[in-house]
Amino acid sequence: MATEVTARSQGGAANPLRAGLDSARISDPCTIVFFGASGDLTKRMLMPAMYNLRLGDVLPTSFAIVGFSRSEKSHYDFREEMKEAIDEFSRTGPAKDPLWSDFADRLHYIQGSFDDADSFRELKRQLDENDEKLGTEGNRLYYLATPPSVFAKVVQQLAAVGLGPKDQAKGWSRVVVEKPFGTDLDSARALQTEVIKVFDEKQVYRIDHYLGKEPVQDIMALRFANVMFEPIWNRLYVDCVQITAAETVGVEGRGGYYEHAGALRDMIQNHVINLLALVAMEPPISPHADHIRDEKFKVLSALRPISEDQVPRVTARGQYGPGLLEGKPVPGYREEESVDPNSTTETYSCVKFFIDNWRWADVPFYLRSGKRLARKHSEIAVKFRGIPHRIFGEAGDQIETNTLVMKIQPDEGVSIRFNAKVPGPKMHIRGVTMDFNYGTGFGVVSAPAYERLIADAMRGDATLFTRWDAVECAWEAVMPILSRWQATQSVDFPNYLAGSQGPQSADALLVADSREWRRI
Amino acid sequence: MSVHIDSPTDSTAILKELHLSRSGTGDRGTRVATMNFIVFVDDPAHRVWVLLRAQVVAQKHPCRLIVLDSTSATTGVEISAATRENGGATIVNERVQIGVSTLDHGKIINLVHELTVPDVESILWWSGARLLQSRTFSGLANNVATVLVDSSGKARGEETIRELGEFLSRFPSVTLHDLAFMRLLPWQDMIAQFFDDPALREDLFSIQALEIESGSDAEALYLAGWLGSRLSWEIAERDAFRDRSGHTIPFTRTGKGDQRRVQSVVLRSADSTYRAALAEADPHVVELSVEGAQAKPVRYVPLQNIGNTSLIERAILENARDQIFETSLLTVRELLG
Repeated sequence: MATEVTARSQGGAANPLRAGLDSARISDPCTIVFFGASGDLTKRMLMPAMYNLRLGDVLPTSFAIVGFSRSEKSHYDFREEMKEAIDEFSRTGPAKDPLWSDFADRLHYIQGSFDDADSFRELKRQLDENDEKLGTEGNRLYYLATPPSVFAKVVQQLAAVGLGPKDQAKGWSRVVVEKPFGTDLDSARALQTEVIKVFDEKQVYRIDHYLGKEPVQDIMALRFANVMFEPIWNRLYVDCVQITAAETVGVEGRGGYYEHAGALRDMIQNHVINLLALVAMEPPISPHADHIRDEKFKVLSALRPISEDQVPRVTARGQYGPGLLEGKPVPGYREEESVDPNSTTETYSCVKFFIDNWRWADVPFYLRSGKRLARKHSEIAVKFRGIPHRIFGEAGDQIETNTLVMKIQPDEGVSIRFNAKVPGPKMHIRGVTMDFNYGTGFGVVSAPAYERLIADAMRGDATLFTRWDAVECAWEAVMPILSRWQATQSVDFPNYLAGSQGPQSADALLVADSREWRRI
Repeated sequence: MSVHIDSPTDSTAILKELHLSRSGTGDRGTRVATMNFIVFVDDPAHRVWVLLRAQVVAQKHPCRLIVLDSTSATTGVEISAATRENGGATIVNERVQIGVSTLDHGKIINLVHELTVPDVESILWWSGARLLQSRTFSGLANNVATVLVDSSGKARGEETIRELGEFLSRFPSVTLHDLAFMRLLPWQDMIAQFFDDPALREDLFSIQALEIESGSDAEALYLAGWLGSRLSWEIAERDAFRDRSGHTIPFTRTGKGDQRRVQSVVLRSADSTYRAALAEADPHVVELSVEGAQAKPVRYVPLQNIGNTSLIERAILENARDQIFETSLLTVRELLG
């Protein structure tokens, strides 16, 4: 699936001992630079992921990590801080010697401001030193674990001090950009303009950790490694598709960020629309990253535009008030830390999309995501049309429509709802569920999303990263909704209880179509 | 809870009890069978070790587990169906444990044939002392997709590896896995790492000596066979290879440490010594060093601790023939003469 031929893979072919070994898992020698190295993301996710990649022997022999951030600290302080982070957050437990010492020797820290060219010159000096002393061969992966507001600045500074790929005499450079890529269509385009001045699109890895989850990748296998679903995977048999990303958590101390984001930006525009693309796209001609991303782009570009006038008829939004979750009282959104007591930010959003192409014409795709809902639950439900003719008389009234559910979290798996005869002399029919669970089916534990994605970026495999054309399409799809919602701020917030199924307006959206949501 | 029946050859009664056991679990109709997992054991000292691992694998992979216990610990047949709730589904695992010490090979083979779920793959984990000399083994191997053995350990020796080599030619359509070889993957990877550096790669073709310390023979033999087959070495004599230039490469194997574990691997070229050895501070870490003309700083790498259960799972999931293993095995067989 790799999109670039790496130096290692070229060299690896000449090492006869590599035959048959899973060497593709290991990247070229390289240095990873974490911008925002003092932040929560680095401590909770990125550094534990790096350490676990080391334990899994996925990192190359010659690698180095450089943390870059404003806080003043020495290399030694940074190593200590990262050890504490690994001890606390790593899935494999505390770091131990001699492996930790070996890992720590490759950790360096640059204190600096994103505005300060000297700091970036110091970074360049460190990277050159790594190439010379640690054998990282000029390969660099820049990871922007910073607030989105400084993405463009960091990229500009890299170019200004000669760290851009165009200035490289040897090796490769890639940049990993955390979401959100922009806060609206204009800002996303502006950011893209800046990024693309320095990096080619193939060198930009827009991360959506949701796509690194195993069940999301299983959708591809389910669709394209089986023949039985394809003939019915279209408007002739599918009544609607419901995509749900429900969380029980609130804003978890991220109120400041969330106030400016809301559910539509935070989840629908990226995670949920990406799921739509995976479930609706045409079969790619190969698993190559660009072949998959071409198909995703095609389906996203076929999303029927929603005009601002249509927004009230095809969307619903909500904000949670106080309620009960698992029997315990939880505060409403407006009582959360760093949230305006009169906030009009939505914590729930749902949208009805149509895809104007041959396969999906007039099939509604209902997307919803919300916080503080009844259950943590993400799934894609493909609901099929009813049978064309009933032959079972009264019992036929109980015949349900078939549903295929791809469960993303928790309990990753696939279930199919179909009808069966109840044993006995009479023809009673009822719906039954056939479940397949990945955990019990294969008994293999998959690596967390960040480990998978960082390793992929190091290897140059962009399959699970979002290409700019898809990002742009997704912004174009949600912009009229954002504009309309901004212009007509909801007055009935909060309009759903924490721990509930969401606002009534979301139910009404489907009732108007003579349908109903699957229960969360 | 298990049900006991006395007659180990009455397959109809066994299948009937199996059905009843499944109903007794409150099975709601969800039964996912991924394989027939047939396990043969005849060593009383090794029996619990094998059965525990078989049980763990069976619980993770919904299957029909058929244990053929040739020790005297099982009499008759024990039948059980266990359930596991997961994601609202009930996964049912079926287990039939049969005392086969008094049965002849024909009866065992027939019984297994009648008890296997049709249309799903059958995998045989054979932990019996004899391989091809056993008619039960040959008969069962004829009807399965994959055979899994472990040529390492106290009761095993060079003869086992010779038999496995013979197995390849007698059963060309059956996939063979040897846990002893699979266990070596991290060591192969570490040795390969030395020569990922293009500056050191030439040394790979001028190796002058190979020394391996391990707790049992199979590991040392397989590593040597793997290196020999990868580097196109010929067999010069027992415990010596010949490289493509005709130079003899002595192979020294030393028994050291626990069964099934490699302690160190040393490759000597004309002017450098490449050494991978368990670190003194932590037996789960390997110290990699290069001394001499190509000297490099010492590195520590994690020894990927692949548990036996994981190896068994891997053998089950990777059901394609492993050419690297097969060529290594054939090289070892030639080396042993």
